[in-house]
Amino acid sequence: MEFVSPEGLRLDGRRPTEMRQLRAEIGNVAKADGSAVFEMGNTKVIAAVYGPREVQNKSQQMSDQALVRCEYSMANFSTGDRMRKPKGDRRSTEISLVIRQTMEACILTHLMPRSQIDIFVQVLQADGGTRSACINAATLALQDAGIPMRDIVTSCSAGYLNSTPLLDLNYVEDSAGGPDVTVDKVIYVDFALNGRVKASVLWDLWLYFGSYGLKET
Amino acid sequence: MEAKPSTANLVDKIVVPGDVVLDLSSMTNQTIKLGGGLRQECDSVSVIKAGKLRFSKPNKYWVESSQKRYVPCVEDTVLGIVVDCKADNFFVDIRGPTIAFLPVLAFEGGTRRNIPKFEIGSLLYVRVVKANPGMNPELSCTDASGKAAEFGLLKDGYMFETSTGLSRMLLSSPTCPVLEELGKQLSFEIAVGLNGRVWVNAESPSTVVLVSNAIMNSESLSAVQQKIMVDKLLQRIK
Repeated sequence: MEFVSPEGLRLDGRRPTEMRQLRAEIGNVAKADGSAVFEMGNTKVIAAVYGPREVQNKSQQMSDQALVRCEYSMANFSTGDRMRKPKGDRRSTEISLVIRQTMEACILTHLMPRSQIDIFVQVLQADGGTRSACINAATLALQDAGIPMRDIVTSCSAGYLNSTPLLDLNYVEDSAGGPDVTVDKVIYVDFALNGRVKASVLWDLWLYFGSYGLKET
Repeated sequence: MEAKPSTANLVDKIVVPGDVVLDLSSMTNQTIKLGGGLRQECDSVSVIKAGKLRFSKPNKYWVESSQKRYVPCVEDTVLGIVVDCKADNFFVDIRGPTIAFLPVLAFEGGTRRNIPKFEIGSLLYVRVVKANPGMNPELSCTDASGKAAEFGLLKDGYMFETSTGLSRMLLSSPTCPVLEELGKQLSFEIAVGLNGRVWVNAESPSTVVLVSNAIMNSESLSAVQQKIMVDKLLQRIK
């Protein structure tokens, strides 16, 4: 299948280095301390942050830093076919872990010992790049909650199809089977907190495109 | 891949975590005081909380931000709700990361014989005495010299929760425009806690409702807009 036309346009009319439209809103969930809705094209994600608050499970309490917990789930109606098990499957557990590690590296946890910060992210509409949208939404929600952070974390995915590096893949491009990477970067400090590669080919090119997309974010 | 951006003058502008506010290598022999929301990393001062950067002469920098959750600080006056009574302390919820303790003797003329009895759910106007990170904050119903000074139980009235930024605006001096305008026409009693809780009491319920609504609407309005909003609300009840 042709993902990049001979004129250089993708299936949705974008150029290879063009991102989808970004939209963000803050403060949607009234009960949460911080919340954000982040849209990347058709992918829509809502994040809610509670904390810092008392640790609910005293055995996990850390005396010198805050405990960061993250839960990623997809709404049943978020994908084309209705999903049967939105939480608890391997992919959700893995993405929860990834988001938790990313945010934990960025939050100044030593300023809030013996407390707990909960990040709940739910995908409302999935069209590729849900992991990136979740990290972006979580960053905004954490800032809305006023939790001290070292820097903003932004995230974007990149892939390689039809011999062309592509930025910000949507669902069709993502499931095409080519290698892809999600890059999370902290602006102005040059280290990638989290990079996951399915096939280790042309790593430099992807990192370049990934950070190009992050500048735009 | 990217060079650090030059530190433009960000005072009175909105900043996000990671923005470098000051480059200390270019300012030697100066004493700078950093308030909340800023952190020093080697040679640069960067932001850790999103908000507006403020500067006051001669050398104080801080970030003004408004959240729902309150971070306890010493000498703050807050409104707390009693959640439990133990032998030595009352457990009071002040909307912070942990429950605060109010010692049973921290009242004017308080002895073991005249311990006040607060029901669970009562609203108290208290002062934060100790606030260390990781420990439960300690409160007191007296001021620094031991007098009662209006601290204690708040009876009747209505309490609502707002953001910390709005409470700071209500407590600023000169008097906040919303309160000034309301005070010209209505008589009411108000207690503002720095933890985002506001208590209003007045003779009639309609006054209480009007004052509460006016305050809740005034967070993002400028001084002139606040006056117009209060005028409109007052005209409705006439």
